Amino acid sequence: MALDQLSVTLAAIADPTRRAILERLAEGEATVGELAEPFEMSLPAISKHLKVLEQAGLIERGRDAQWRPCRIAAGPLKQVADWVGRYRRHWEESFDRLDEYLRELQKRESQNRQSKTKEKKHGRKKR
Amino acid sequence: MAAKKDSSLNESAGREIVITRVFDAPRELVWKAWTEPGHLMRWWGPKEFTSPACKVDLRVGGKYVFCMRSPEGQDYWSTGVYREIVEPERIVCTDSFADENGNPVPASHYGMPGEWPEEMLITVTFEEYDGKTRMTLRQTGIPSGVMSEMTAAGWNGSFDKLAESLEKEKSI
Repeated sequence: MALDQLSVTLAAIADPTRRAILERLAEGEATVGELAEPFEMSLPAISKHLKVLEQAGLIERGRDAQWRPCRIAAGPLKQVADWVGRYRRHWEESFDRLDEYLRELQKRESQNRQSKTKEKKHGRKKR
Repeated sequence: MAAKKDSSLNESAGREIVITRVFDAPRELVWKAWTEPGHLMRWWGPKEFTSPACKVDLRVGGKYVFCMRSPEGQDYWSTGVYREIVEPERIVCTDSFADENGNPVPASHYGMPGEWPEEMLITVTFEEYDGKTRMTLRQTGIPSGVMSEMTAAGWNGSFDKLAESLEKEKSI
């Protein structure tokens, strides 16, 4: 994704109303009227937000002029999530493995210690 | 407690990734796991990845080269220089993508989308904590625009969920 496109996407999701709209659309498509309901906003105001989202490629709208249901578009948002999430995922999963490995190491160490103590005790008995 | 508060504050300022973990192991052992190739290769990389190569020159100004191999067999190399080493408390190093000779390359070398900083800074601290080790990793140099806009917007958790539902939708 080109940086310009990324800036447009980020600017679009920086607004709380637009994020709420996206969250609503993540559940399924909706009309402008349905989207306006929870916000106590005029239809034109909602339409403005939708235009920004549409220009950012975050939503798609039906062709029918009167009934233009909005749908979420997976592309740009998914790329932003990928981009930012990649490092976090890298670390979290690596640390899961580190956690497991540290347990394994300590288990081995304590087993070694135990068998050494046994050998010692055994040696003493012999003498 | 103070450290935790501090880290979330920095994270919400959007300039770094901060991850804190508590390991049920003595600090010396965690330190070894981070600094000795034989240990590093056992855990470096996400789930299902392996690490076929690892070089560590553990001194200030010394270089490391790590390689991790995806389940599909693609190798990802990274390299950096140690800036600070305080055994067993703290490691500061740079971090960048690398080619198989350990030379830094831009993220686009691996087909990463978007603009990445060529170099990042990683700080890892280890604290003794109730017989365990609390490790804190900070990674800075992540493109600040993205992180700050997203975190300042309080995106975090809901964003993950949203991405998840998008993933589902895509697969339908």
